[in-house]
Formats: sequence, structure tokens, C-alpha cells
Amino acid sequence: MNPLTISRRDTATGPVLHVTGDLDYDQAPVLRDRLDQLPVSAGQCLVLDLSGLAFCDSSGITALLAARQHALAADADIVLTAVPANLMRVLTLVGLDQVFTLRPDSSAAS
Amino acid sequence: MCRTGGVPEPTGTGDEAHTTAAFTALLEDSVEDLYESAPCGYLSTMMDGTIAKINATLLDWLGLDREAVVGRKRFADLLTIGGKLYHETHFAPLLRMQGELRGIALEMRRQDGGRLPVLVSAVVKHGTEGEPLLIRITVFDASDRRAYEQELLRRREDAERARAEADEARRQAEADRARLADALAVLQRSLVPDSLPDVPGLETAVHYHTASPDQLGGDFYDLFPVAGDRWAFFLGDVCGKGPEAASLTSLTRYTLRAAAHHDPDPASALSTLNAVLHERYTGGGNPRYCTCIFGIVEPGGAQGRAVVRLASGGHPPALVLRADGRAEFLPTPGGLLIGVVPGAPIGTAETVLAPGDTVVLYTDGLTEARIGPGRDDLFGEDALHAFATDHAPASPRGVITALTELLEGFGDGLDDDTALLALGVPATPSTPDPASPTVPATSHTS
Amino acid sequence: MDIRRRNNVNVVGPADAPVLLLAHGFGCDQNMWRLVAPALAERYRVVLFDYVGSGGSELAAWSEERYSSLHGYAGDVVDVLEELDLRQAVFVGHSVSAMVGVLAAQAAPERIGALVMVTPSPCYIDDEGYRGGFSTEDIDELLASLEANYLGWSSAMAPVIMGNPERPELGQELTNSFCATDPDIARVFARTTFLTDSREDLKGVSVPTLVLECEQDAIAPREVGAYVHAAIPASRLVTLDATGHCPQLSAPQATTAAILDFLESVK
Repeated sequence: MNPLTISRRDTATGPVLHVTGDLDYDQAPVLRDRLDQLPVSAGQCLVLDLSGLAFCDSSGITALLAARQHALAADADIVLTAVPANLMRVLTLVGLDQVFTLRPDSSAAS
Repeated sequence: MCRTGGVPEPTGTGDEAHTTAAFTALLEDSVEDLYESAPCGYLSTMMDGTIAKINATLLDWLGLDREAVVGRKRFADLLTIGGKLYHETHFAPLLRMQGELRGIALEMRRQDGGRLPVLVSAVVKHGTEGEPLLIRITVFDASDRRAYEQELLRRREDAERARAEADEARRQAEADRARLADALAVLQRSLVPDSLPDVPGLETAVHYHTASPDQLGGDFYDLFPVAGDRWAFFLGDVCGKGPEAASLTSLTRYTLRAAAHHDPDPASALSTLNAVLHERYTGGGNPRYCTCIFGIVEPGGAQGRAVVRLASGGHPPALVLRADGRAEFLPTPGGLLIGVVPGAPIGTAETVLAPGDTVVLYTDGLTEARIGPGRDDLFGEDALHAFATDHAPASPRGVITALTELLEGFGDGLDDDTALLALGVPATPSTPDPASPTVPATSHTS
Repeated sequence: MDIRRRNNVNVVGPADAPVLLLAHGFGCDQNMWRLVAPALAERYRVVLFDYVGSGGSELAAWSEERYSSLHGYAGDVVDVLEELDLRQAVFVGHSVSAMVGVLAAQAAPERIGALVMVTPSPCYIDDEGYRGGFSTEDIDELLASLEANYLGWSSAMAPVIMGNPERPELGQELTNSFCATDPDIARVFARTTFLTDSREDLKGVSVPTLVLECEQDAIAPREVGAYVHAAIPASRLVTLDATGHCPQLSAPQATTAAILDFLESVK
């Protein structure tokens, strides 16, 4: 198991969370807690940089959806960047590629 | 030291004299002193128990003066009340009958009120005519032995108690576990049908693999009639596991059933489900969702054909094994996870099953099973397509049997629940199905 | 059920002679009568038995429920009388058995024609206006001592210590004597014997009765003998010049003579 780490960076357009490790049943609640504490203002864009994500199961996807819900509730946008191929395949399979704004890398957001 | 008659002592007698002298020195105590100071109590009584003689050791143990005892007390008077009763009912009669007694446990009473646990032996001395004259009694201090026995008893009682408690705890745990397993089984049965109904003109088969017998499965399926000789079926996978997943499954199943009766259009049923789940969960900040493929089949068409219309929300595409040996996916593009966004897009597809054609619905436990030496690779859709091609044509039972064997072959690479549902139009009698139809149409593994 | 086997019944003496039923008390078994039975059997048909739980009885027939009351023991007596179809028998009971005989005579009056009560006591515990010889604390101490296995054959501990209750014969070898009883059964018998107050039952005794007491008896003092004698109008009191609670062992000739004399008088 790869431990989940979340680091935050604030930019002019909004917060960027860099998520590394496994986003699984045991660790997904960590991201959800972190999001609950995260202030996002209207008009900002919450960026989740997933370049270091090693694994993501349905609990992880639930956490990503919770992030989206959190952003939308604040009238903010959400972008997933540097989505690994495995996760990309799953997101496409379940249709979430239509729901999330996806970008190749996080640099575009900053 | 031992001399035998007539055999001369081979060594010198000087040593012998020396040894004898040494023993004499050692044995200088008198018989009287031995009696009085022996490491055990001695006493002699008349036949009625009156004490005639008692040694200093026993007097000392009991804290008594000789004058207060000899000729004044009976042996039984030296005992505790319990000891006295026991003496009268057991000790004395037995001594009378047998003439001797050995190792009887009694308790004596000390002058200071304390008790002295003792072991008593007694023998009746008879006169020349055989008449009983007096009773000789030896008393051993059994305090240590009593303490030891008590300790043994206590340990044994402790051990028995501990074992009884452990047994009880284990029984309780087993009962709890059995109760929980029963509850889970009942709940699980409420999430999937006990058996599939018979559908005229169709053959059906199902398989459910539960990853953990202790966990409620997150996969679900159903098959039931709706208006107009049509049948609705669905198969899906809810996020998460355990009781929360089960409650989501329950809501999903009954919503779909109700929706199908209201409007048997596959996409409408999933849209209704999407609205219900979004309102219930994601809209409240607690995103929960499922993937689902929903179908309506209308059997009994021309030449036995059946029309199948499918709708999917984020679910892997259905697979069709054709009578001619081809296998193909039925893509339902654009469909989204159910319950995530309001008005989620639903993908649809339609096909016609001819005799010998079989459509298979599955959850991603199958395609996401890990394979390879390091369990690093996923089985995947391509391998599934190749597998289906290998087995086509196949009846629903045949393909479910083959897939069940495939799942078993994954071993610990299969760590998720997996549901499989197959529907097909039976092949005409001239083209018998190569796979054995002896498997039950409904099977569960875990 | 085979009563003869259950109660280890033994019959000696002339078959057509009047019957004496000899009943042992707490602690031992019919061997208690060994020194008096032969002389009695010269003129009487002597029936010996063990209460269930004692001596050679069938221990499997024992139950705590039945034998926690003197009526259970009286049931054994009536069973034996009925099994042998005895009528007008003379019941000779030692110690607690004297009171068992009183209860048996109530239950089956036609079968018991006279009572011989050897060192009887209707109540062992002192009461207002009554001296039984023991305080409640004394009896509690006895029962507690029995409870804790403090008394008796230390080898009674053997099966416990060896942790081998499944093989009681290991302990049996060591305690093979007639007073040795199962500790659990002995505890129940002791409790029943020493905690029962049967004084009221004495009033119902209407048959000729001999009360035999000893000059010196630590368990049934003279006052108790006098009490029993006073409570039973048709009784004769004989005080033996003997010590202890078991005159049939310590003074067998005098005991036999007193019984025979009494039997002669009630013929």
C-alpha cells in the first residue's frame, strides 16, 4: 500500500491539491476530510493534481466526486490534471470524463 | 555393617569400632526424649478416648498444659467441632471395627483458638486375651500439605472457571457470528433474486461470486416481467461495500423495478434511478453511485428472435456471443455513472438475438481481475472478447459455466464481487449446444 | 427397580422369626451392626441394608433432591419393607436413622410395629428450652469443613489432586473402608442430618419404642435422650454405661441385651 499524501498550494486561480499514493477504501476519507476543511471561493478553480496517484478504486472516485460537489457548492470549478492512464480508463468507462474537466498537467492551472 | 554367619570380616575391626562409637554419639538421645520431642504428636487414650499420655510436641502445637489434658480430656475434645462430629460418626466406629486407621484428615483446636490441620493415624493395642486396651494415635502437622492442597484446588477451580468463561465467550462469539451471517444472508437474498424466473422462449443463467463471505456484495442483478410480454433485466455495481453499499443496492433494485413498471423504456428507468440516487446522496454532499446496465427483452419474435434494448450508466458494455461463432461487445457510449449529476446522460444500444445467440452482462470484477505472475495486469475487455470468441456459440448456461471456471482460475486475482447474467434464445435442436446444460441456472460462489 | 440391589439388602436369621430392620446412621453403612447382628439373628430375622449413597448401595440411584430430606431416607426404608413384604417389623435405627424410622412408621404404619432408637436426636441444634448439644455455628463449621474436604481421608483429595475424577477407582483403592463415602453424597447427608428439626414428628409415634442412649455421647447428650423419651409416651429409656455415639460398637453386648429385653416386653 502506498501512503496517501496531499499537499496544497494556493495560486491566483484557486487551491491546487497534489495527491500522491493510493486513493482506496482506507485512505479516501483522508482526501474527503481535507476537502471539507478547504476554503474555495466563488469563481475559483480547485485543481487536483493526480500525477502521483498510484491507485484509485471506487472509493477514490467517490472522493473525487465529493471534491466536485464541494467546488460546485461554492460556485467554483474543478479540474483534474495529469490523470494517470489507469484512472483515465476507468473515468472514461463510467462516463466521468464528461463530468470532470481534465487537463494534461497542472502547470496550465497556475 | 552386615555380618553373615561364618564368613570372616575381610577388613580390619579397628574401623568398625570407630563407626560404632560414632553412632553411639549420634544416638545419645533417649527413647523418652524421642517420644517427647519427635517431629510428630503422640498420644495414647483409653478405649473411651480419655487421654492417658501425650507428648510435648503435640502439647506445644496445641498450646496445652499436660495437667489440663491427661485424664481430663478425650481425644475428641482436642478437635474442632467439625472434627469432633467426624470423629464420632466415622473415626471412632471405624477404629473399633478395623483396629487401625491411617492418614485421616482432621482439624485440631489450639488453645489460642486457631486450628491445626492434621493427619491422624491410630491403632488399637490389644491385651493378651485379645481385648482392646488402649488407642495409640500419631498426629502429623498437615498445615503445609493443606495449604498445598488448597492451592491445588484453587488453581484447579480457577482453571475450570477460566475454561468455562472461555467456552462461554467462544459460544457467544460463534452465536453472534452465526446470527450476523444469518442476517447478512437474509439481506443478501433481498438484493438478488433467489432464482431466475422462467422466461418463455428464452434461456437464462446467472452466477454471483461474493469476494468475502462476511461482506455484503456490492453487485446486483434482477430479471422480471413487465407489461406486454416483455421482460426487464438489469445488472450493476454500487460503490463501496458492506451495509452502506447494501442499502444503496436495495434502493437501486426497487427503484428500477418500480421505474420499469411505470415506463419500460430502458433509458427512462436509469434516468429515474439517477434522479433518485442524486437526490438521496450526492445532492446532500454524500456522493454515492452505481454503474448499471438495464435491458428490456421481447422474446417470441419471428423465427424465435428476441429484441433486446439496453441502456447503460457507466457500466462495461454487454457482450453477445452469436450463433455463428462471433462475439461482439454492444457499446453503450456516453452513459455516465448513475447518481452523480442531475440528468446524467444514458447510453443505449439495441440488438436482436437469433436462436443460438446469447447476451452476457457482467460487472467489472471480471474485467478488472488481476492476472499475470505478479498480479499486475488486468484481465481486461480484450481478453474477455477473445475468451467469448473462443466459446461462441454458447448457450447462457454454457457461457456462464465457462466464465465461472475462468473466475475460479483467477484465484486470488479475483478480489471483487462479480455478477454474471446471460440471456439467450435457445439454438434450434439441429445445432445442439456443445456445453453441458446440467449446471443450475443460478449459482453463487464466494 | 431392584430394591434389594439398590439398597444392598442382606437378610440373616430364621425365616419365620419376627423381623428386625437395622438402619445405619450418617457416616457408615450396615457394617455398623456387625457386632450385634449375629446375636440378634439367633432369635430374629435380621434385615440389613444401606441407604442409597452409602456402603454397597447403587450410587447411580442417588439424587440430591431425594436425599436432601429425611423423607427420602424414609422412602428407602418403606421401599425395603414393601420389597420384602414385611409387616409389624421392629425398626432399629441408629442416630439420624432413629428419626427416619419415625417418618417411615408414619408413612407405612402397618409395616412397623415397634421402634428402637439408638442414640437418637430429633434436633442437633440448641433452641429455646431445648439443648441439642450444638450451636448453629458448630454445625456450620462441620458442614464447611466437609465442604472444603478438610475432614476424612486425605486421599479423598487424591482424585481431586490427580485431576482424575473419571477414574474414581484410583481414589477408591486408598479409601476402601466402610465409612468411606462419596464426598458430595456425604455433604448432603450431613446437611440433612444436622440441619433437620424433627421434634414435631416425635408426637406422632404411637408404637412401643425403646430409646437407647449412652452415658457419654458427644453427639446426642443425655438431655436429648430424656427429651425423646418424654415426647413419646409409649417409650422406654435405657441408658447404657458406654461412651460415644455408637454403643453397638463400643458396648455391643449391653446394646444387644437392651434390645432383646425390649423385644421380649413387646411380644
